Amino acid sequence: MSNHAAITVNRSREEVERLWNAEVNGTVTFADAPGDRGTEIHVELNRSGNPVSKLLSTKALAKVKDELRRFKQRVETGEIPRSDATPEGERVERKFKQRPAQPLAEGELEKAGLS
Amino acid sequence: MKATVWSGRNTVQVENVPDPKILNDRDAIVRITSTAICGSDLHLYDGYVPTMKKGDILGHEFMGEVVEVGRGVDNLQVGDRVVVPFPIACGNCWACRHELYSLCENSNPNAGLAEKMFGHPTAGIFGYSHLTGGYAGGQAEFARVPYADVGPLKLDDDLSDEQVLFLSDIFPTGFMGADFCEITGGEVIAVFGAGPVGQFAIASAVMLGAERVIAIDQYDYRLQMARNRAGATDVINFAEDADVVEQLKALTGGRGPDAVIDAVGMEAAHGHGALHAVDRVKQATRMQSERGHALRDAILACRPGGIVSIIGVYGGLMDKFPTGALMNKGLTVKAGQCHVQHYIKPLYERIRNGDIDPSFVVTHRLELGKAPDAYETFKHKLDECVKVVLKP
Repeated sequence: MSNHAAITVNRSREEVERLWNAEVNGTVTFADAPGDRGTEIHVELNRSGNPVSKLLSTKALAKVKDELRRFKQRVETGEIPRSDATPEGERVERKFKQRPAQPLAEGELEKAGLS
Repeated sequence: MKATVWSGRNTVQVENVPDPKILNDRDAIVRITSTAICGSDLHLYDGYVPTMKKGDILGHEFMGEVVEVGRGVDNLQVGDRVVVPFPIACGNCWACRHELYSLCENSNPNAGLAEKMFGHPTAGIFGYSHLTGGYAGGQAEFARVPYADVGPLKLDDDLSDEQVLFLSDIFPTGFMGADFCEITGGEVIAVFGAGPVGQFAIASAVMLGAERVIAIDQYDYRLQMARNRAGATDVINFAEDADVVEQLKALTGGRGPDAVIDAVGMEAAHGHGALHAVDRVKQATRMQSERGHALRDAILACRPGGIVSIIGVYGGLMDKFPTGALMNKGLTVKAGQCHVQHYIKPLYERIRNGDIDPSFVVTHRLELGKAPDAYETFKHKLDECVKVVLKP
């Protein structure tokens, strides 16, 4: 099991470091991506070797990946993409609890904080 | 609104669902005037694409009128007539900056799911499973279009819906398949599958200067369309003679086609031998997702040093892939979901110039409410069906 999550954001390192505001449980480092490919963000998760924390950290890693994707989406596109199946945007909790791909009713919009 | 929803294998229904709303600043809402059923919708209908959910609205080929725009959309106005590309693309990420729109790094909010299947996520697609985001599709009265400042093409002429609708997918998809073949003039191109995408791959190969284009299918009416409308110079009906590889070699003086285009994908009907039987059993029992006979033959037929262009849709894993032929013959493979936003404007110009009238593929026109019948007609190739257009 990897302890590591990474994403590349199509912006300069200066800009990425300045805008970085995601809350992740781990050690964060930034690096210039080779060529004209923006900035790499690396997160090394803090975790111990016992089986229970290993199980928990699988979810922790998925959450870190969510945060990295959402940061990239906000910085690159200015918004978090929302589909009908995942109206809050990417969330590990939604992975196996997807809505059907059809528009939300009024009450559901409110619940998702979108009305 | 009324929408076509998937409700299990081989079942679609037209149901009343909530109207879509703007959820983000870069969204627009489109009132749909024409929408089509794609061959790849049949892979969903047949239940071969994972991550479908009951209630999913289908459809990724649609056009209509803009009825609402978010604050971040400054290139469209209410009342504009638009065609909407099937891949949802942000326009900002590295892939979009390199015009690889179907590989948009941001538009799929189920990236974690897609990563498990493909190693990396690919772009969001309207109405095309949760693996591509879980977006409601366009076989409906309205659709929400994310990143509407990047995708939709504004139309400013009096071309009919049927002449421009296929800019959403199948014309650019067929064109990309031909574009992959690096045609400079004088080539022989073989196109596996004379369905709607195959027809446009054939027509595009002709437009790009191929000297001979060979269409391969099992239905004479489709091969006739390929010859009479798309411009194929030769046709092979594999229902009459299943040895397509030998027939292609015979037609090319033993060389094989310079490039082969797979416009079939994961449910090849082709092949009558033992291998096809094994494929059918494995696919039916979900031990493999692809029936790959067309692609295998394409690779075996392609001339040494040639190009294999894959635009037919695959979803997972294939057995008995001819790696030896691919490697030893030094073939180049090019593949992908179409980068529609890259091709849409030049192809719109070709329609306006009269180089092509894409409406030639339309055989059936039905009201949206008849979508269940339309899926059955298209799936079983009844009534010489090639392409169905639905009118909401």
